[in-house]
Amino acid sequence: MQVLELERVSKLFGDFRAVDQVSFSVKEGSITGFLGPNGAGKTTTLRMILGILKPTEGRISVFGAPSALEVRTRIGYLPEEKGLYKKMKTWAIVAYFATLKGIDRRTSKKRAYELLERYGLKDFADKRTEALSKGMGQKVQVLAAVAHDPEFVILDEPFSGLDPVNQQVLEEIVRDFAARGRTVLFSTHVMQHAERICDRILLIARGKKLLDGSIGEALATIPRRLVIESDDDVQPLSALPEVVRMAASNGAPGRWELELRESADPQNVLRECFKRGIRLRRFDHSDPTLHEVFVRLVGPEAREAAFR
Amino acid sequence: MRYAFLVAWREFAENAKTKGFWITILIFPLLIYASITVSSLLEKAKPVRNFVLVDGSGELEGAVDQALERLHERKLLGALTDYGRKNVRMPQGEVHLDPEKMPAIDPAQMAEKWAGDNAEAIDEFVREGGLSSALEGLKPYLKEDAPEFSEPKRPFRKVPLPEGIDSSGTPDQIAEALKPYLRGERSITVEGESEELFAAVLVPSDVLEQVLRPGDVRALDPRNERNGIQYWSSNLADEDLKDEIATAVNEEIRRREYENRGVDPAEVTAVQRTHVPLAALNPKKQVGQEAVSMADQIRQWAPVGFVYLLWIAIFTIAQMLLNNTIEEKSNRIIEVLLSSVTPGELMMGKLVGIAAVGLTMVGSWILALVGILTWKSGPETVVVNEILGVLKSSGLLYLFVVYFVLGYLFYAGAFLAIGSLCNTLKEAQNMLQPVMVIMIVPLMTMMFIPKDPNGTLATVLSWIPPYTPFIMMNRAAADPPMFERVGTLALLLVTTALVLWLSGKIFRLAILRTGQPPKLLELVRWVRGA
Repeated sequence: MQVLELERVSKLFGDFRAVDQVSFSVKEGSITGFLGPNGAGKTTTLRMILGILKPTEGRISVFGAPSALEVRTRIGYLPEEKGLYKKMKTWAIVAYFATLKGIDRRTSKKRAYELLERYGLKDFADKRTEALSKGMGQKVQVLAAVAHDPEFVILDEPFSGLDPVNQQVLEEIVRDFAARGRTVLFSTHVMQHAERICDRILLIARGKKLLDGSIGEALATIPRRLVIESDDDVQPLSALPEVVRMAASNGAPGRWELELRESADPQNVLRECFKRGIRLRRFDHSDPTLHEVFVRLVGPEAREAAFR
Repeated sequence: MRYAFLVAWREFAENAKTKGFWITILIFPLLIYASITVSSLLEKAKPVRNFVLVDGSGELEGAVDQALERLHERKLLGALTDYGRKNVRMPQGEVHLDPEKMPAIDPAQMAEKWAGDNAEAIDEFVREGGLSSALEGLKPYLKEDAPEFSEPKRPFRKVPLPEGIDSSGTPDQIAEALKPYLRGERSITVEGESEELFAAVLVPSDVLEQVLRPGDVRALDPRNERNGIQYWSSNLADEDLKDEIATAVNEEIRRREYENRGVDPAEVTAVQRTHVPLAALNPKKQVGQEAVSMADQIRQWAPVGFVYLLWIAIFTIAQMLLNNTIEEKSNRIIEVLLSSVTPGELMMGKLVGIAAVGLTMVGSWILALVGILTWKSGPETVVVNEILGVLKSSGLLYLFVVYFVLGYLFYAGAFLAIGSLCNTLKEAQNMLQPVMVIMIVPLMTMMFIPKDPNGTLATVLSWIPPYTPFIMMNRAAADPPMFERVGTLALLLVTTALVLWLSGKIFRLAILRTGQPPKLLELVRWVRGA
C-alpha cells in the first residue's frame, strides 16, 4: 500500500520555484531517506505533505486522502526548526502533543512517562524543558512526535545537533519503528545516517528530484574506484576490460587511481597484478558512499546555488 | 473543534501555573486592603503634636482653646457614631435601603448640610452631658461581644513654655529662645516624659492692630514677613495645626468684627444656614416618581465604569494574545502544532484560552472588590448590594457581555494577525502604534459622552465599528434610538466577522514565515493571492 504519493508537485513563492514537479511514492513499512543540500526544497516538500503548506501545482495523497490533516492522527511529525514550550514539564509536553493527535489524557500521560524512561530521560520527566540540554530536548521532541504511535512518521533533519551516542539512539528508535511495520520518511544532508538505515533514498536539489531508488541503485551511479601503489610498471592494467580509466595520483609516489566498470570485480585486477608480478604496496578498494553520490550529483549545482 | 479546546485548555492551564498570574490576581485585592488598613493605621500612629502658645495680647488664646476643644468633640461624636453603628444590635433585621426612593446626592448640598448640622449636633452633644452620658445611653443596646469604646486621641496638645523663657518678650525674642527646642536639639518635658516640640504659635501683644481689612494698604507690602501671628515649626509637611489655628483665630477676629460693626454673630450664623431647597426632577419618569433618585444617578454613571472596565479588559487580553503568538513563533513550536491542528483551530484555541485567562483575572478583581467591601464595613455594603441590584435589573450587564464579546473578537483578531506577522515584540510595537492611536479615543471621550449621549459626537462615533462597543455601552443609560442600537450592532457583527476572516488568512500565511514583516501593499497582495 502506498502510504504517500506525490504527483508532479510544485510550490512557488512568487516567482521562485522552491519545489519543481516532484513525483514519488513511499511504500508502507519502508524507511525512506529524503536527501538534499541546504535550500533544496526538502522542508517545503515535507510541509506540503503534512498540509501545512498548500502545493501550487500537483497532487498529494496521504493514506489515500488528499490532505494529511484528515488523517493527522496517523501521522507523526518532527519539524526542522525545533522548539518546545520552555515552561512546560517534559512529560506534559509529550503528553500534550499526544492528546492533539487524539489520544486521551490518561493514556497520553502514561505513554509519555514510558517513552521518557525507555530512552533514558526518566530523571527529567518532571522537570521543565528549559532544564534540558539541546540534545535531550531534541530527543524529547522525537518522542513527542511518536508518542501517539503513528503509522507514518516524518522527521525533518532529526539528527542535526545530536552527539554520536544520541544519533545512535535515534537510529535505534527509527529501526524499532520500522520493525513494527511503520513507515518512516526522514530528511537529512548527512549521508552516513541514510546509508545505515534507509531502504530507499530520494535525492532532491534546487527543487528538482535527482534520484529515486534503493541504496544499491544510488551507489551504482558512481564508478567504482580502486587505488593502488606500486613502484613497478602498472600500465598493462589499463588494458584490462574492467578498467575504464587509470590516472596517476598526487597523493603519494607510485599511487594510481583506477576507475572500474560498474559490475567489475576488483579481484580481477588483483589477479592480474599477481600474474604480471606487479608488487603492490597498497590495494585500496572502497565501496562508494552515498556521500560521493551526493557530491557528484549535486556538487556543481550546489556550489552555484546561493547559500540558502 | 475539540482540538481548539485542547489548545485553549493548555493556554489556560499553563498560564494559571505561572507566578505572574497569581500575583496579578492577588495584587489588586491586596492593594485595596492595604490602602484601607494602612491609612487608618498611619492616622493612629501619628504622634501627638506638642505646641506652645504665647498670647501677648491675651485676646486670642481663649478662642484657640475653644476651637481645639470643638475639634475634639467633633471627632468624638464621629467615633461614637461609628462605634454605635458597629456594636449596636439592630432591632428589626437588615436595613433595606431603596435606591429608587433615596434622593440623589448633590456634593455641594451635602457639604453645606454637614457643616451646618454638625455644629448643632455638637452643641447638643455637649449639652446632654458629653461622652459619659452618651455611653450610658448606648449600654443597653450594645451587643454582647462589643469592645470597650476607645476615645480618639487629641492630635494637638498645648504645653507650657520651657523653663527659663520669658513669656513677656516679643515674638521675635521668644522665637529665638525656642529655636533649639523647635529644631529638635533640646526636648521639652511633658507629664514627666521628654518629648519634641512640634510648633510654637506666638501672638504679638498688638495683634488686633495688625488685623488687615479690605482696602488696607499694608496688605500689599511684601516686606512684612513676620507680621501678625508667627507660627514656627520645622515640620513643613504637616499643616493641620497651622490650619486649625488660622481658622480658630480668624473666626474669633471676625466675630469681634461683627460685634464692632454692630452685627449680632448669632444672626450671622443663622443667615449662613439659610438656603432655598432645589429639587432635581426627571421628566422621563412616571408621574409621582419624578424625583431624581440615587438609582438614576447610578444608572447614569455606571456605563462609564463599564466602559473603563471593558477597555482595560479588552486591551490587556489582546496584549497577552500578541505576546503569546510571538513567543510561539519565535520558539518555533508553531510548526509542529500545525501538523496536528489547522490554523483555524489554533486561532480559535488561542482566542478562547487567553480570553479565559484574562477574564479570570478581571473576574477575580471584581469578586475581590465585592468581597472586601462586604467584609470590611456594615451599612455601606447594603448600598453596594442595592447598586448591584440596580445594575442587574437595568440590563446593563447583558449589554456589557455582548459588547465585550464582540469588541474582544474584533481587537483580538487584529492583535493575533499582527502577532503572526512579527517575529519580535519590537516589531509588534511598531505595528501596534496605529492601533493604539485608535484605541485611545474611547478613553478620551469616556467622560464626555454621558453628558451628551445622543449628540453628534456620540452618534458619529457609535457607527465606527472599533468604537461601537465602548460608545454604545456608554450611551446605554440614555436610551439611544432603537435604530442606532440595532444598526451599530449589526455593523459591528459584520465587521468583526470580516476582521476574524482576514486575520485567519494572515495568520495562516504569516505564522511560519520568518524575516521582515511585509509592508501594507505586500500584505494586500498576499491575501489576494492566497
